[in-house]
Amino acid sequence: MSYTLRGRVESRLAAAVVALVVAAILATALADWWPLELAGLMIGVGLTLDVAAYHRLLPYQPGWVALPLGLAELGATIALARAAGVQAPLVSAIALFAFAWLAAQVLVHAALPLLCRSYADDGGELGPAGAALALVALGVLAGSGGVAWATKPPLYRLANGVQRGPLVLDRPGVYEGGPRTVVRGGVVVRTSHVTLRHVRVEGGENGIDVEEVQDVVLDRVTVTGATLDGIHVRRSEVAIHDCVVRSPRHGYTQGIDISFALAQRMSVVEGCTVTGGAEGIVTHYANAMVSRNRVSDTSLRGITLTEMSMGMADENAVEGAVGIGILCGDHSECELADNRVARVRPDRTSQDPTRMGYAIVSQLGAQTELHGKEAAGKIATFVGGTIVRR
Amino acid sequence: MTAECAIVGGGLAGFTAYQTLRHGGLEPDEIRVFGTDSDPAGAWRTRAAAIRQRWMRSESDGHCLATSFPGLAVLEARRERSVAPLVASVLDRYNPSVSAFLEHVAELRERSGWDESFRATRVQRVGAAASGFDVGGQDIFRHVLLAPGHPGLAMPPDLEEDPHAVHAYEPHEFADRVAIVGAGMAAATEWLNALAAGASVVSLRRREPERRPLNLPRPFFTRRGLAGFHALPPDERARTLERLLAPSYPPGRAWDEPIETARRNGRFTVAAEVDGAEQIVCATGFRRGFAHDPLLRRLVEEHGLETAGEWIVVSPDCTVTGLTNGERTIGLAGVPAALGFPAADTLAGAKYAARGFLRRILGCRTR
Repeated sequence: MSYTLRGRVESRLAAAVVALVVAAILATALADWWPLELAGLMIGVGLTLDVAAYHRLLPYQPGWVALPLGLAELGATIALARAAGVQAPLVSAIALFAFAWLAAQVLVHAALPLLCRSYADDGGELGPAGAALALVALGVLAGSGGVAWATKPPLYRLANGVQRGPLVLDRPGVYEGGPRTVVRGGVVVRTSHVTLRHVRVEGGENGIDVEEVQDVVLDRVTVTGATLDGIHVRRSEVAIHDCVVRSPRHGYTQGIDISFALAQRMSVVEGCTVTGGAEGIVTHYANAMVSRNRVSDTSLRGITLTEMSMGMADENAVEGAVGIGILCGDHSECELADNRVARVRPDRTSQDPTRMGYAIVSQLGAQTELHGKEAAGKIATFVGGTIVRR
Repeated sequence: MTAECAIVGGGLAGFTAYQTLRHGGLEPDEIRVFGTDSDPAGAWRTRAAAIRQRWMRSESDGHCLATSFPGLAVLEARRERSVAPLVASVLDRYNPSVSAFLEHVAELRERSGWDESFRATRVQRVGAAASGFDVGGQDIFRHVLLAPGHPGLAMPPDLEEDPHAVHAYEPHEFADRVAIVGAGMAAATEWLNALAAGASVVSLRRREPERRPLNLPRPFFTRRGLAGFHALPPDERARTLERLLAPSYPPGRAWDEPIETARRNGRFTVAAEVDGAEQIVCATGFRRGFAHDPLLRRLVEEHGLETAGEWIVVSPDCTVTGLTNGERTIGLAGVPAALGFPAADTLAGAKYAARGFLRRILGCRTR
C-alpha cells in the first residue's frame, strides 16, 4: 500500500480506537490505569513515526514490513513506558501491544478495504469517517486521561531527613520518600490503597505494620532494627517489591510476616533482601507468592509457609539458615519452584529432628509440590507431610 | 425499473465497473451493458492465450470485485486450505494464475446478473441529450461509462504488410530464428516462449525496458502518486504519461535466467534492426489514443471535448469534464481514462474509474 500522510494518520487512528476500547475495558477490569497509559504511548509512538519517518521513508509499504515496524514500535513503547514510570507488567504490556497490532493489521488489510471501496486508491484515507474516527480516538484518550487524572491517588512527599515515628498512614495515596528520608520508630498503615515508596524505616516494634487493609504496596522500602517484625502484615493484602529488611541475627524477630489473610487476595513478596532474624519470610494462614527474594543468615528458618497457608515460593535464594531452609508446615499447600537453598546448618541445640539442616521440609499434613530445579540439600517429610515432584 | 445507467463495452473494464455498480446498490435492471461478446474475458483470453501467458502481472487485488478485500490470494487460500498464497501476498510474491483469474471472472459473471444486463450491440455513437446521453439510438441514459477497450493492435508501419510479421497477440507458432519487436511485458513473455520452443531470439528494442513488478511505480496506484499527477496541466499530464508508460516487465530470476542462459549459448541477442530472421513477432502493444477509436473520436468531434496529445481530458475521477454535471455523468474506463489514472488499462484502473463513476451516480441530484 502506498499511504498518503493523511491516510497513514487516519488508518492509525482507526486502529487506535480498537486499542483504546480494549485498554479501557482492561483498565476497568484491573482497576488500574496502565492499559490506557500504554495505549496512549502506543498511539503517540505510532503517530510520531508515521509523520516523522514512515511517510518519507516508505513511499510504498509491503505487507511484511508491518512486522519489523511493529517490533520497533513495541521496543519504543516499552522503553518509553519504563522511562515514564508506567507500572505495566512486561508480559501484559507486550500482550496488549500484540493484540492492538494484530487488530490493526486485520483492520487495514481486511476490514477497511472491505468496508471502503476506495480505501486502497485513497492511500488509506477514510474521508469524513477519518475525521470522525480521529475525534473518537482523541475523545477516548482525552476522556480516559481526564478520568485518570481526576482519580489519581494523591502524592505525599516525605521530606528528607529523620522523621519521628510512628508514622501513621490513614489516608489513601502514594507516600514517597526522598533519597535521605528516614522514619525512626516505625510506620503504621491504617487504610487501604496506600503505596509507600523509597522510605527507610529504623527501629520500632514492627518496622512497618499493616493491619486489616487491602491494596497496599510497599515499594523499595528498607527496614532495619525492628524489635519484632520488619514488615508485619495482619488480615491484609500487600504487594512488597524490592525491599531490604535487616534484623538482629539472634533475636526472635522476623523479616516479613504475613498472617491471617487467607480470606484476602493473594499477597506478593518479590525481589526483597532479608537478612538475620529467626525467620526471613513467613506466612501463617495466608495466600502468598514469594518470588525472587534473597534470604540469609536466619536462625530458625529461611522461608516458612505454614498454618494452612496456600502459596508459591519460586526462584528464591536461601543461604546460611540454621535448621531449615524452606518449610511448608501444618496443612499448608505449597508449590516450590527453582529455589536455591545453600549452607543450611543443623540446629543441634534444639534436639528437634526436623531441624537437622534440611533444605526443604514438609511437615504436619502439609502438601508440597516441587517444580523445576531445586538446590542440592536434604529434603524431608515429617508427621504426615508429603512432597511430590512434578 | 428503467435502466438509468449504461456501460458501453463488455470487456474486463466494463465488467469490473458492473461489479462496482452492483456493489453500490444498483440492480441488474438498472444497468444496461452494451458489447459484442457476452464473455467479459473473451478478448483478454484470446490475447493471453496468444502469448501463452500463465501468470498475471497483477497481484492479489487484480480481480474484478468492487472491494480490494478479499483478494485473489485470500480466495485461493480458502480454496486450497493453505496459507501459502497469503504469505506470498504479504511478501509481494503472489501473482494469480491466468486460469484462476478466468475462473474468478466466470464465477462473478454467473452470480452478478451480468447476462441479464448485457445487450449484444456494437454502439457506434454516444451523444449528449437533454436529460442524459443517447447511446447508439438505443435509449437515453443519465449515466454512461465508456469502456471501449484498446482500439486495435499496434504494428510498426514498415511491418504492417510484411508476410513474416505477426502481432504477439495473434495466434502464432515460432520459427527457428525469431525477431521480437518490443521490450514490455508481452515482449518479455515472447522471448521466453520462443526460447522454450527452441528458437533463437533477436530482441529489437528502442530502449532498455524498466524492471518493476507492476506497470507503473506503486505510488501511482493510490492518491499518494495520483495527487501530484492530477495537479499537472493536461498537456503536462500527457507528457508524464508518455514517460510512465515506457515498456517494463517484472524483475526476477524466472525472467532473467532463461535469457542469460540463451545469451551465453548465442540464442538470444539484442539488435537494432531485423537481420535475417524468419519470423518477426511484434510485441508492440496496442494503438494508443482516442483518434483510433471511432466512438471516442466522434464524441470528441461532436462535443468539442478538450484533449491533450492523444488523450481525452478527464477529471481525477475519470469523468469527462465538459459533459458531466450534477444530473448526468459520462465517464471513461479502461485505457482511454489514462489522464485520470495512469494505469487505466489495468484491473486497478478499471476499479478506480468505476468507483469514481459510482460516486457520481450516488451523488446525483435526480437519483
